[in-house]
Amino acid sequence: MKVGKVIGKVTLSHADSGFRGGRFILVAPQGAKELTGKNPRGFSDNWTLVAYDNLGAGEGDDILYVEGAEAMQPFDYRTPLDAISVALIDTYRYEPPTE
Amino acid sequence: MILARVDGHVVTSIGHPSLKAQKIVLCTPVDEEGLATGSPIAALDPIGAGQHSRVFITTDGSWSQNTLHDETSPIRNQIMGLVDAPKAS
Repeated sequence: MKVGKVIGKVTLSHADSGFRGGRFILVAPQGAKELTGKNPRGFSDNWTLVAYDNLGAGEGDDILYVEGAEAMQPFDYRTPLDAISVALIDTYRYEPPTE
Repeated sequence: MILARVDGHVVTSIGHPSLKAQKIVLCTPVDEEGLATGSPIAALDPIGAGQHSRVFITTDGSWSQNTLHDETSPIRNQIMGLVDAPKAS
């Protein structure tokens, strides 16, 4: 699992029928700088990814997402999915020791 | 498996049902010297690792499905143990 910030959504007119019931969101991965508030932009320059979401994550929300084959585990049929949101973050604390 | 340091935690109320009542910590991957080597990873913490303790994390999703007793769980990362003194030789 990694922490990401929802920065948008993807709308599809045609999609694989296995994707019904959810939607796709754009997620900016959050690194150490973003989690400690040292990046004034609030989101990183890392590759933005598209993730499946059935929790109702909105723009600006922090979420936990999973990448990889495990992303399709919640489905009882095979889907071509490799990124999924697994939790909406209420609060977090991230304080690395000062080196 | 990844060597990491516990640097914080996450509180969630809406999420996959298998995450209910699970403690989730934020870990920074570190090398054997204790220096950060990558972006933070969120992992389940079944052993109650304290802040800034050295741990190792599995990235095996099927293990988490096993311990959570939920075959539909997408969770991959879980703390497997506390590290006393990592030594590279």
